[in-house]
Amino acid sequence: MSVEKSEKVEVAAKATKGVKVAVPSPRKIRIAAFLAVMGPGIIAGLSDDDPAGITTYSQLGAHYGYRLLWVLVLSTLALILFQDLGARIGVVTRQGLIGLVRQKYGARSGVFSASSLILANIGTMTAEFAGIAAAGQLFHLSKFISVPIAALLVTFLVLRGSFGRVEKVFFLLSAVFLSYVLAGFMAHPDWGQAVHGMIVPSMPFTRDAIFIATATLGTTLAPWGLAFIQSYAVDKRLTRDDLRLLRVDVWTGSLLTGVIGFFVVITCAATLNKQGITNITDAAQAAAALKPLAGTLAKDLFAIGLIGAALLAASILPLSTAYSVSDLTGRPAALDDGYTEAPLFYGTFAAITVIAAGLVLLPGAPLVTILIWTQVLNAVLLLPLLFYMFGIARDKRLMGEFSATRNMQAVYMAIIAMVGVCVSCMLWFTFHR
Amino acid sequence: MSAKAVKTNKVAAKPASAPVKKGAAAAKVAGAPAKVVSAPAKAPTTQEALARTVGKSVALPITAPVAKPIKAVASRAAKLVGRRDSVLARKNIRESLVSVAGLIGRPVRDNDGRDLGKLVDIVVRHGEETYPAVSGLIVKVGARKSFIDGARISLLTKDEIRLSSTKINLREYTRRPGESLLDADVIDHQIVDVDGLRVVRSADLYLAPLDREIRLVGVDISFVSFLRRVFPGTIRRRPTPDRVVDWASVASLADGTGQVRTAGPRSALGQLRPADLADLIEDLVGREQGALIELLDPDLAADVLEEMEDEDLQGLLRGLSAERAAELLTRMEPDESAEVLRDLDDEHRESILDAMADETARGLRTLVSFDETLAGGVMTTHMVICRESDTVAHALALLVKNRERDISDGVVVVDTKGKLLDHIQMIELVSTKSTALLKTLIGPPLPMAVSIDAHLNEVIDEFSNNRGSSIVVVDATYKPVGRIMADDLVDALVERTERRGFSQGSGALA
Repeated sequence: MSVEKSEKVEVAAKATKGVKVAVPSPRKIRIAAFLAVMGPGIIAGLSDDDPAGITTYSQLGAHYGYRLLWVLVLSTLALILFQDLGARIGVVTRQGLIGLVRQKYGARSGVFSASSLILANIGTMTAEFAGIAAAGQLFHLSKFISVPIAALLVTFLVLRGSFGRVEKVFFLLSAVFLSYVLAGFMAHPDWGQAVHGMIVPSMPFTRDAIFIATATLGTTLAPWGLAFIQSYAVDKRLTRDDLRLLRVDVWTGSLLTGVIGFFVVITCAATLNKQGITNITDAAQAAAALKPLAGTLAKDLFAIGLIGAALLAASILPLSTAYSVSDLTGRPAALDDGYTEAPLFYGTFAAITVIAAGLVLLPGAPLVTILIWTQVLNAVLLLPLLFYMFGIARDKRLMGEFSATRNMQAVYMAIIAMVGVCVSCMLWFTFHR
Repeated sequence: MSAKAVKTNKVAAKPASAPVKKGAAAAKVAGAPAKVVSAPAKAPTTQEALARTVGKSVALPITAPVAKPIKAVASRAAKLVGRRDSVLARKNIRESLVSVAGLIGRPVRDNDGRDLGKLVDIVVRHGEETYPAVSGLIVKVGARKSFIDGARISLLTKDEIRLSSTKINLREYTRRPGESLLDADVIDHQIVDVDGLRVVRSADLYLAPLDREIRLVGVDISFVSFLRRVFPGTIRRRPTPDRVVDWASVASLADGTGQVRTAGPRSALGQLRPADLADLIEDLVGREQGALIELLDPDLAADVLEEMEDEDLQGLLRGLSAERAAELLTRMEPDESAEVLRDLDDEHRESILDAMADETARGLRTLVSFDETLAGGVMTTHMVICRESDTVAHALALLVKNRERDISDGVVVVDTKGKLLDHIQMIELVSTKSTALLKTLIGPPLPMAVSIDAHLNEVIDEFSNNRGSSIVVVDATYKPVGRIMADDLVDALVERTERRGFSQGSGALA
């Protein structure tokens, strides 16, 4: 706040001196601002295609070909609906998800949901670092060098506040994954089978299939993304007038996630699966899917994309988590606050980064397994958060005219049920083998 | 946590931080003797005063321990152990306070100790009292939630509640206006800490016997107290009053109807500067924003609205009734009201304008119709217009009469046809004989005036040429229709350069 004010004073000083200021109409500026600054929905969307996402989708395509594409379609649908809901809750209630859960459901639920989120986010953060380690290995760089460098870089950029500028670089790097769209076409996939896989659900009732389906749900509909979009709307003080713009942004971002995911799956199905590589164990194998497009450069392209997406997500994740945790205390902290003023904020930030980097650096840690396991964890921890969001969405006192209609409630319930079925099947397989 | 937080009313962990005056004032509010017994090492805090009050109210058979005269012991102990006295004070508090969060779910019994049901919530009535009394309990008896009048409570401890009679009204409880449920409406909700100038979430509420009733005396805002509630058993019920805000300095905005009537906060809020209040309101959530505005005196509320950021203001207006919005906008400077109205959607704007007095609405409609980039869009219609034949005394009297409006820089003089002659500065008026006619003052410097459809850039040029604090706006016939103040111009420009789409915010998120 104080920073903003001093800026204002500066501008005011200039204006009184009689400096002419160009005065374009506000509407134009809004749209320009939207195009210049990519919205939170697109950031969240592209961050969903982080190393964990790409690896999970690659595995889905490599192992099961086109058969499980429908899981991705459903996940994307769920992502769109719940991101949209998160944006709406944030704008209408002006409170973060965790603070709202505390208000509506009490102390225990507040702590429980915050813990779930922290756990899921440590998992995802670990996945980001695992992605960086994997990309480093493609360049023959030891993870003991690449991961600490990445951790320090992210911390430095975010805490110094220069993240805003570098963000766009990461964004461009991660946009490399759009090359999967090209690669997908060049790999000449079997479109008929792809459409069939999208529309007709079929599920091999095996542990691995359930496992990868759950991971797909978890990586697409990531808990942190839901908390992020809501805190973003609150922190940026978006009003109901901004809601339409925000929803456009959220829908675009979520669709982008789905589209990239779709092409990753069909690319892998048309290359890896066809060649008989059905179990991806390292990043080099996943990168091979890009060969039709990039030939010998496939590995480099893949590695660049991994690094960009990992850094983009790794910059936002600890911030978003720290915001949620301080939201639990009732005083959402921010980077404006000093270390002594907001110990919990910075503590969470540091803990997430250090623990995640530490986990990846454990000697002999299987990177691809970590990547996929963390996404399964995401799906499990997603359940309570979805329930809370559902409860908030139907609360008339909180949401007023924006509360969910009966039909929407049924749709949300169906999604929650789907996640629930996935998770319980997976747990069943885990304990009854 | 905000740097400007004034932490006088909380139980400070560090002794000797509370100024004597504050403590004494709070003691008066609490109905305690105004005499302040200073412990040697530190000034008394609100809580100490409270503790004494607790000790003195013996009318209700409540098992609160009586604070013993421990002055001598405390002073010696204070010398021995640095912060001994504050620990003692805290111990007293700890034993006499009852945690509301801990009490929820505890058994409600009759006088013989037979269980009647479980406590679901505690009802208080917001009256004119600083510390609202418990007006009733919501108790779960079987599958039903029934209301039990507060007068029937014979004992209230942190573990149980006993009732003097066992009759239970089997009707399901329904909210009544003016009542609020402590667990459902206040705990974990946002409240305004007036002394600390911030919005916080309440972690727990404390009850204590005061003036023969059980009253809500403090709000716990510490994270430790919040975490305590997660645990089962006695940990949950043990008060941890480390950072307690006196209920007198809190504005709780959560009530079933959004209407809060608390005497204390109302006056406490009135002490704040409009700009601080605006910041507080911007920190609040929709429904509670409206509630806070309702608490304020309408003139103060209008000042606060002028200080708010446009986007927040629009959000706020959406939450208010058209009548209330109309009342507030009428009290605001016309240019500010017009600016707000211009940004609203047509339907909403019309509903507010319809609720206004005809004349005000007509004036505002005209202002709203001007483009914001033209002189007419930023001008205020407030000005003092005099004839050239009026006396200086008359002009000054008019200025004094309208002093509430922002017209301090002088009067606009017109000829018989209403055309602009000059803009006479206050200093000229004051330094002239009061019987002199205004026409004697007319002359160079010539009045600076811009046409109502002049572009802002033109206005800026005029301003920088003349260096005045305001400029008169005239219509096509050279009649004055309003003035543009330098600060309004600055606001208008800042706004245009500041619109940055999504990139505002605290920087907590990317």
